[in-house]
Amino acid sequence: MLTWLIAAPALAALVVAFLPKDRKELYLPVGFLLSFVPLAIAGYLFFDFESGEAGFQFTERIPWYEPWGIEWNLGIDGISLGMVVLTTILFPISLAASTAINHKVKEFVVAVLFLEAGLIGTFLALDLFLFFVFFEAILVPMYFIIGIWGSERRIYAAIKFFLYTAFGSALMFAGIIALAFLHAGQEGVASFAYQDLLGLDLDVVDERLLFAAFGLAFAIKVPMFPLHTWLPDAHVEAPTAGSVLLAGVMLKLGTYGLLRFNLGLFPEASVDAVPIMATLGVIGIVYGAAVAIVQPDLKRLVAYSSVSHLGFIVLGTFALTSAGLQGAVIQNVNHGLTTGALFLLVGMIYERRHTKKIADFGGLWKVMPIYAGLFLFATFASIGIPGLNGFVGEFLILVGSYATLPVFAIIAASGVVLAAIYLLWAFERVFTGVPDKPENQALKDVNGREIALMAPLVVLILLLGLYPQVLLEKTEASTEAILDRIEAVTDYEVPAPGRLDDVFVAEGAEE
Amino acid sequence: MFAQTTLATPDVSWLAIAPEITLGLGAAIVLLVEVQFLPPIRRLGALVGGILAVAFGFSVWQWIRVDELLTTTDSAEFLAGFLPFGEMIVMDHGSVLARFALLTVAALGIVSGWQLFERLGRRGAEALALVLLATSGFTLMASSVHLMMMFLGLEVGSIALYILAGITRDRISSDEAAIKYFLLGSVASAVFVYGVALVFAATGELSLLDARSFLSGTIVTRPAVLLIGMAMLVVGLGFKISAAPFHSWAPDVYQGAPAGIVGYMAAAAKIGGFAALIRVLHTAFPSLLAEWAPLIAGIATLSMVGGGILALVQDDVRRLLAYSGVTHAGFILMGMVGGGVGAPEIWFYLAVYTLQLVGAFGVVAVVAGATGGPTPIAAFRGLGRTQPMLAVAFGVLLLGMGGLPLTSGFVAKFGVFQTAWQAGFEWLVVVAVLASVVGFAFYLRVIVAMYMHDEADDAVPAPTMPSRTVVALTAIVTVVLGLLPAPLLELTARAIPL
Repeated sequence: MLTWLIAAPALAALVVAFLPKDRKELYLPVGFLLSFVPLAIAGYLFFDFESGEAGFQFTERIPWYEPWGIEWNLGIDGISLGMVVLTTILFPISLAASTAINHKVKEFVVAVLFLEAGLIGTFLALDLFLFFVFFEAILVPMYFIIGIWGSERRIYAAIKFFLYTAFGSALMFAGIIALAFLHAGQEGVASFAYQDLLGLDLDVVDERLLFAAFGLAFAIKVPMFPLHTWLPDAHVEAPTAGSVLLAGVMLKLGTYGLLRFNLGLFPEASVDAVPIMATLGVIGIVYGAAVAIVQPDLKRLVAYSSVSHLGFIVLGTFALTSAGLQGAVIQNVNHGLTTGALFLLVGMIYERRHTKKIADFGGLWKVMPIYAGLFLFATFASIGIPGLNGFVGEFLILVGSYATLPVFAIIAASGVVLAAIYLLWAFERVFTGVPDKPENQALKDVNGREIALMAPLVVLILLLGLYPQVLLEKTEASTEAILDRIEAVTDYEVPAPGRLDDVFVAEGAEE
Repeated sequence: MFAQTTLATPDVSWLAIAPEITLGLGAAIVLLVEVQFLPPIRRLGALVGGILAVAFGFSVWQWIRVDELLTTTDSAEFLAGFLPFGEMIVMDHGSVLARFALLTVAALGIVSGWQLFERLGRRGAEALALVLLATSGFTLMASSVHLMMMFLGLEVGSIALYILAGITRDRISSDEAAIKYFLLGSVASAVFVYGVALVFAATGELSLLDARSFLSGTIVTRPAVLLIGMAMLVVGLGFKISAAPFHSWAPDVYQGAPAGIVGYMAAAAKIGGFAALIRVLHTAFPSLLAEWAPLIAGIATLSMVGGGILALVQDDVRRLLAYSGVTHAGFILMGMVGGGVGAPEIWFYLAVYTLQLVGAFGVVAVVAGATGGPTPIAAFRGLGRTQPMLAVAFGVLLLGMGGLPLTSGFVAKFGVFQTAWQAGFEWLVVVAVLASVVGFAFYLRVIVAMYMHDEADDAVPAPTMPSRTVVALTAIVTVVLGLLPAPLLELTARAIPL
């Protein structure tokens, strides 16, 4: 089943690649329709997924090359489930949003579909070798998406993106080899399987070095301050679909990796690294938000807001409490939805006006009321207005981190306020007032296709805002299991109301 | 006494050198047929193809025979089959793999550079014969366990390559390349011979196996002579594999030599050189592993880092591929730091890389055009639009050389990395992973030109059918071996040297 989930977009890419040359109008629709296959599979997985089970489900393990201990090893748990579903949702939307791509359409659709296969693969891979293969392979389609279909400085941005991330993952690769040999030393056979590596007995120095090697790769991907400089360039130059996928899914590889591999495999080092990671997370939150305020360009603004929002996820992860981890997992999904929505909206206005400069707009509310409404909705979701998804995630993260890192939580809370400032101020400049520029007066409001694009995102934002239990109940067991393992392996103990059980115990005690 | 001598005479196993005999005779036949019948070059091409196929057939037979020998319990039969010709030549999996690889790159090299052979007119026959001779030399070098035999193979192969570098006499850069290659190559050969002499002086043996047993049973009184001799052997062979700091010939030769044949030249020299290096270091000096492993690690570091940095600033794709070849020499050397156990990984890497190299030079030859002119990166601009299939294939080959996951290059790199890691050279692996990122930086420059810039002024001619086939084939193999490397890995896994 999981193999098919990876194979479906890859096969779709091949189908599109072999479409006849003279049927240019077919490429995008066919790619779009075929991208519903992985969505359907992911939907099935979501509903068939057993809540309350901590381990991996739907696992598949086949040796790939036995002497080296490499396996085709897939599985899904509460941490990856949301990401996989989010990925399969964002891809059809991104494809449908790419009607403005007018050259090399076939190559574009093929690149996007291969990107989908690679991204799903990274979330499903439980063999570290396989994980690295996917992690690295997705750079290529994204590199082409930015470099070929991006705007003016696209080549610079594409190369910067590729080299930054390739550099980050290089040391992780050395770390993966190291892990396999440590396993060979302890168990007799080399293994890259996550399940096997959990049983490793690492000495302190090794564990810290490995944590650093993995951490660097993921910190660049997130990106965490001060390794974030590739992100604004990549976002600004990428086409709309590229930005949506970059922010919506690709950055999540970083936070997903930190949660899955750093916390999972190196619990001792993770506990020791809490001050560093939390500090970098909080710096990211405040710095990203502060820089976002002064951006003159809408896309750059949203890009920096991502730096800020992902800082929250890092903080939640390293708070090492139930609420923090749950918040991190759900915020991974939330951020994909809201930022995806914002990038789509920026893309729509860019297609009409060919500018993303905030100063070029003004008074759009009067000209494009529906668009303004959608934008305001996405803005609110991003700020974290109660009732929308952003609130749930950020609230959980703040609650969770207050238990263990009160000072950090207090500073981080300012990020929410700052988000309100940069987003609402931008909204004010773009939408309110009188549309005094003649170019703006003639703008057409969003059409049916564009509303249809936004609709699923709007629905999901509301759903996760009003009833986050849909996702939380599936993730609970997995995040608890991570904490259980940390408590079992290290001296660390989650302080009193930090665990999910604590709440229930307290209720029971009252009776 | 007489009876004893006749008893001791080993059964000469002609099978062990059947491919070399085929190639040598074949070269002579090609030249004779040319003089006698003046056939069209196409016919000669078919003849050469037949010769290569026969040699390949013998190699397959050898492979099967080696498998049989390994299961036999009769030690006399085993020795006669394994070491025919009294410890001059060995017929083991490694030597047969070298034949497979060399014959394959020879065939692909000729096919992809076919335009060159056609353009050479009557001298096309010479070029074809030289390719056969070079191949026979390097296969001999790869299967020799005797330093004189190895030197013979090295010279037969190298001299043929010197001439091939200058085969297009009308181009001054080709002459320059040939002269440079010849002069520097001769110096390297001289160093190698001097190394042979010093090793002989220290051990009294030229046979690698005898040298090993001598060293294992004797305490060497003058280790300096032995170590200098060994280092000189490494230098001489380091030149052939274009490892830094013995690489200075490579960029000029790659750039000057006719584009149609450079791929073969580069690949053949690398295969022969590495095969010999494994034999010399592992078969003769396993007891000195602690001495030579750091030396190899040092050369590897210099090659990966230096080659990578120099490749970054190249503007000509041929020079870029030359410096990238230096980095690859460094990566492959990583497989040696653990001794003979790394040989399977080295063979896998060599097989994968030389195929990519031949394919990449196939593309370069197309872009260079009929005149074999320069190939600046700018000449590849817009290739993604004008020659989409060629550009896709070249992109795959370049990313494969860079070692991107899902290509064979990644599996190859992983193999040598893990060997080095296992041998305790963790720092070397860290250097290597960072050097691979530098690798992406220069390979991407070409890909950027192909896909993200507008077309160059001079249109790239459409590739001919033969070169298109080779380029497509190598690109497909790069991807297939990236997804399913197990079959080739299982073959190379048997190549543990004596």
